[in-house]
Amino acid sequence: MASSAATPTHAHAASYSSEQSGLWSWLTTVDHKRIGILYLYTALFYLLVGGLEATLIRTQLAKPNLSIVSADFYNQLFTMHGTTMVFLVVMPLSAAFFNYLIPLQIGARDVAFPRLNAFSYWVYALGGLFITLPIFWGLAPDGGWFGYAPLSGPTYGGGYNMDFWVIGLQILGISSLAAAFNFITTIINMRAPGMTLMRMPMFTWMSFVVQFLVILAFPVITAALFFLQFDRFFGTQFYEVAAGGDPLLWQHLFWVFGHPEVYILILPAFGLVSEVLPTHSRKPLFGYNVMVYSGIMIGFLGFGVWAHHMFAVGMGPVADSMFSVATMLIGLPTGVKIFNWIATMYGGSLRFPTSMKFAIGLIAMFTIGGISGVMHSSPPSALQQTDTYFIVAHFHYVLYGGAMMGIFAGIYHYFPKMTGRFMSERLGSWQFWLNFVGLNLTFFPMHFSGMLGMPRRIYTYDAGQGWDLFNMMSTVGTYMLLVAGLIFAYNFFSSKKNGAPAGSDSWGAPTLEWSIPSPPPEYNFAQIPEVTSRYPMWDLKAPDRMAGIEHSHPDAGVIAEAHAVPMHEETERRTASELGISMPFNTIKPFLVALGIIIMLSGLIVLHVGNFPLAMGVMLGGGAFMVGSLYAWLTSPLE
Amino acid sequence: MTTATTATAGAHEAHEHTHYTTTGLDNKKIAIWAFIGSECMLFGSLISTYLVYKGRSVVGPFPHEAWTSPTGQVFKPILDIPVTSASTFVLLMSSLFMVLALAAVENKGKPGYEGRLGSSKFWLLATALAGATFLGFQAYEFTSFVHEGLTIKTNLFGSSFFTLTGFHGTHVAVGVLWLMTLLFIDMKRGLGPTDAIIVDICALYWHFVDVVWIVIFTLVYLIQ
Amino acid sequence: MPKLHLRRFAPVAALAVALLVLAACGGAYPNSTFSNNTELNDGAVFLWDRMMLLGTIVFVVVEVLLVYTIFKFRRREGGPAPRQIHGNAALEITWTAIPALILVFLAVPTVRIIFENQRKAPAESLQVEVIGHQWWWEFRYPQYGIVTANELYLPIGKTVNFSLRTRDVLHSFWIPQLGGKRDLISNKVNHIWFTPKASMEPTALNGACVEYCGSSHANMRFRTFTVTPADFEKWAAHQKTVAMGSPAAAVAAAAADSAATAAAKATPIRVASVLPVPSSAPQPAASASPEAWVFPTEKIAAYAWPQTPLPATRFDEGLLSAGDPKAGRALLTNPANLGKAPCLTCHVIKGETNYANDDQARGPNLTHFGTRHTFGAGLYRLDAKSLALWIKNAPAMKPGAAMPTFGIGEYNALIKQTIAASAGLDDRQIADIIAYLLSLK
Repeated sequence: MASSAATPTHAHAASYSSEQSGLWSWLTTVDHKRIGILYLYTALFYLLVGGLEATLIRTQLAKPNLSIVSADFYNQLFTMHGTTMVFLVVMPLSAAFFNYLIPLQIGARDVAFPRLNAFSYWVYALGGLFITLPIFWGLAPDGGWFGYAPLSGPTYGGGYNMDFWVIGLQILGISSLAAAFNFITTIINMRAPGMTLMRMPMFTWMSFVVQFLVILAFPVITAALFFLQFDRFFGTQFYEVAAGGDPLLWQHLFWVFGHPEVYILILPAFGLVSEVLPTHSRKPLFGYNVMVYSGIMIGFLGFGVWAHHMFAVGMGPVADSMFSVATMLIGLPTGVKIFNWIATMYGGSLRFPTSMKFAIGLIAMFTIGGISGVMHSSPPSALQQTDTYFIVAHFHYVLYGGAMMGIFAGIYHYFPKMTGRFMSERLGSWQFWLNFVGLNLTFFPMHFSGMLGMPRRIYTYDAGQGWDLFNMMSTVGTYMLLVAGLIFAYNFFSSKKNGAPAGSDSWGAPTLEWSIPSPPPEYNFAQIPEVTSRYPMWDLKAPDRMAGIEHSHPDAGVIAEAHAVPMHEETERRTASELGISMPFNTIKPFLVALGIIIMLSGLIVLHVGNFPLAMGVMLGGGAFMVGSLYAWLTSPLE
Repeated sequence: MTTATTATAGAHEAHEHTHYTTTGLDNKKIAIWAFIGSECMLFGSLISTYLVYKGRSVVGPFPHEAWTSPTGQVFKPILDIPVTSASTFVLLMSSLFMVLALAAVENKGKPGYEGRLGSSKFWLLATALAGATFLGFQAYEFTSFVHEGLTIKTNLFGSSFFTLTGFHGTHVAVGVLWLMTLLFIDMKRGLGPTDAIIVDICALYWHFVDVVWIVIFTLVYLIQ
Repeated sequence: MPKLHLRRFAPVAALAVALLVLAACGGAYPNSTFSNNTELNDGAVFLWDRMMLLGTIVFVVVEVLLVYTIFKFRRREGGPAPRQIHGNAALEITWTAIPALILVFLAVPTVRIIFENQRKAPAESLQVEVIGHQWWWEFRYPQYGIVTANELYLPIGKTVNFSLRTRDVLHSFWIPQLGGKRDLISNKVNHIWFTPKASMEPTALNGACVEYCGSSHANMRFRTFTVTPADFEKWAAHQKTVAMGSPAAAVAAAAADSAATAAAKATPIRVASVLPVPSSAPQPAASASPEAWVFPTEKIAAYAWPQTPLPATRFDEGLLSAGDPKAGRALLTNPANLGKAPCLTCHVIKGETNYANDDQARGPNLTHFGTRHTFGAGLYRLDAKSLALWIKNAPAMKPGAAMPTFGIGEYNALIKQTIAASAGLDDRQIADIIAYLLSLK
């Protein structure tokens, strides 16, 4: 417990660690904030892994005809780079923010199902290891992150490599689905009194849309993966060419998932930027309603455009036209967001801490990715670009220039809330500019290598094709990004120890999470707030300045009641029990269930090795362990 | 912290069902609906795959067409619609039992819910037994298919049929386990109106599994 | 200070982009996607130009607005508090409507060109069957009875209708300079057609597989030679015969064909494709082969010559000039040597006793091997030394290649075995085989 003699700043750091510490506390935690931090650390670790994979890829491609890595290892590298960045980095980084922020933003003490939340994390963490570790034995997946059949099937991909991919993705799907059920319930059902849907902070809104995308898109790839899994392990014929299997079935199922997945990756970043921009512009988000509706539209249209990944497979002119026009349409809600962000800044009073730089970076860079995306919606032209480096350039502008920029903005913005300290702005500025220049140096030339005919996924290329300069530029840029990443890591860890203390309201932001101490106490809100507007903190701090301004339409007249939001400036941290707040017990059971699932599915690898009795033992043992732990979990009280 | 909380845990237990929620509904109810939405997409994918592969198997047996094997043996269409109609009826009935079980839990002790027909234990058991009967039919069906030469490895029809109905059967099996667990709790401490939510979500799941079967039965068995 | 950074950076960025654009427009780019050689190119370039124009306008508007806002509205000490604006319906409708209008200008020609490109090919088109293999290309001209590999000859001014299929996994057929791209899908025959314009010069172009297909996806390249119709006819008339230099020229091809089928039945070979393919048209006993015509070596531009580095495999080069084609042929064709030189179980040489027909062969058809400019799916220049190293240890030159290692003492990385003296070939034997193969003109 914090001593009352300590200064507030010390009290934060000290009390937080003294409440819970040690490995066991992390293994058993059900606190959404600590789980969010676990997600953050784990995903940043995988970011390093994926980044090193990218560096090796770019080193191999620096010049023509190099042989720094072998063809097979290169194929593992690019497969794992894609898989890692999508499933182990960007999605979990978003999940870190879902976990940390959603309950704080809607005024809740935790998520709806705290133990399910811990379960989601452990499935992700263990599943990530399952799919990542094989690379050390040269057994990493090598069929591309898209795993096209029949190359991923038993006939042409008979090694263990794709086993790890199929099972690993299945495991990660469980994690995402469980988390999505949890957050949908949390957002629908755990909002503080007065927090209507149209008063929710934009990050929570975008996360809400993402959860629906997850629960509707992931089952489709789950089914596709089951087919592949059954083909690989049980001899079914789904994608077997000799039995008449159709490789396009895989492609359709994969992209029905895969395209919404793109929005699953980008919408949380949009949400984070929508928090950062108003804060540092001192101005409400421009067109809140339209921002909400456009987010929903993006999610909705995202399910109707999947086959634009398949223009080259020969679907016929009618299907090509339909998917082409649908794809163009999706540019509209996305464009609206860009313009509304600029309009949010327009007329504001802008300040440029690192988070703001990254947020603006997202607008600038995502625009490039968005425009090249619309270019791909036109098949006759896109057919000259599909499977070339032009596409690689496009989606890296979307995912690095968009999603990662937004996530970095979010990390710099919320680091003070999570740790009670600011990150270094000087290092942050270095990181931003290195990232900004590095990303353009890496990915802009890829437009050119693509337009000049360089195919994707090639481990080497011949000299004299006119690609040498652009490839060298991309490689140099990659090393800049690596340096930027190392600066970030240093900034992160040194600021955590020595950063300038940040108060509860670190940036003068408008939303609820800034009304509680940094880092927040276990129970978040000592008193559940009563929300009367979209920007309760601004109403609270400057009722005169805000008077008469419609911060939120329905209650426009009751700004005077804004003080219903309690500010928890604390001098002494009190525990939940002192305040009489019941919190969930720590428990190891979700971890055990996750472990049981991994053990059970590992049995399939043993089955492939050919040891049937051992495989059965592992699968049944793991299954029994999982079911047993699950029963123990479900029959023990939450709090 | 742990000791303090443990000491008051008993007191807090009572509050568990009175947590404030925005909609007034229990969290579990929202979650099960989200789960069912997700399951719709899973079964949608499985059913679509079955339909896409319909008629594309290179070798027999086939669902609705007679088939001559390379050895000259003639097989009749493999689906046995009368038998499956019977199992479908049993599963449909189980949904009715489930409704009665939930009503019995919600109205425990109220007039009109005395005796066997108002007993949640009786109806939970009836539902579970109907589910188990359906599984028995399915086991019979699978076994006879294997005897007739159709396994999950035989052809596209076999792969997609066994996977689709197998997934459904697994859902029924999980449902039966769930019902048995509820029955066990009911016998141990009795389920009353305050527990209605845990029976309610099981009922939603069970009805969903039932509805999925009606779709499968129509698309796979009835439509040729 | 951030604003200083911005000011310093803007000109640098502008310069960098300008340099990039200059670099991209100035140099020699043999695989550029912006040529105007076919009607597919025309459609693509037309749409590209329109999108580039509209895209650039959107880009400039957005970035100028953004940069203007950043500079104009940065926080000043003592400045007024910003007006709290929540939105503006008229503005928001405007910036939805304008992009929508822009998209109309894009959607209409897109749909028109989609339908144009996917009409049925004209009946009188030259038919070419493209068959993808891990990792090489088979090309068949059914109207001429030609089966060849990795080098595609197309007559200028004539529509070519490609039918595309694969023997194993998915591939994708692409010649950047001729436009379009079409995947090769298992259990499906795809089509694409285009016309190299009459105005085109005879030239050598690079093509590649652009659908990831496994270990040597990067090494699945091919060459396309666009030639005058007269030259094409000369080339085709020669290619459909038995090779001139082949000592087998006198053997009746019909008999050979039936022998091939019989042998193929006796030797079980894994054949992935179950699609029936018409076998090459039977040949008359080729006594009077027309004169060989191939794309002239001196006309092949530097970019079309492979520069793949050769491996460190050692070979006694002195033997190469002394290779005896007769001895080489004996090695290949004598059934007694099948254990050491089983070439004809996977390759077809028209006129010889083959053990597989074209639909079963796992390797390229070698009938006129000596007339090709490259081998190994465009990975190496066809010369005696490269070929010697290839036969000695192909997997070392092309990862995952199904072509076995034949050199005695060489290590086959694919099957993780060193070739024993009893099961391999020595350098002299390889030199003989090469002499025979290069004589297949």
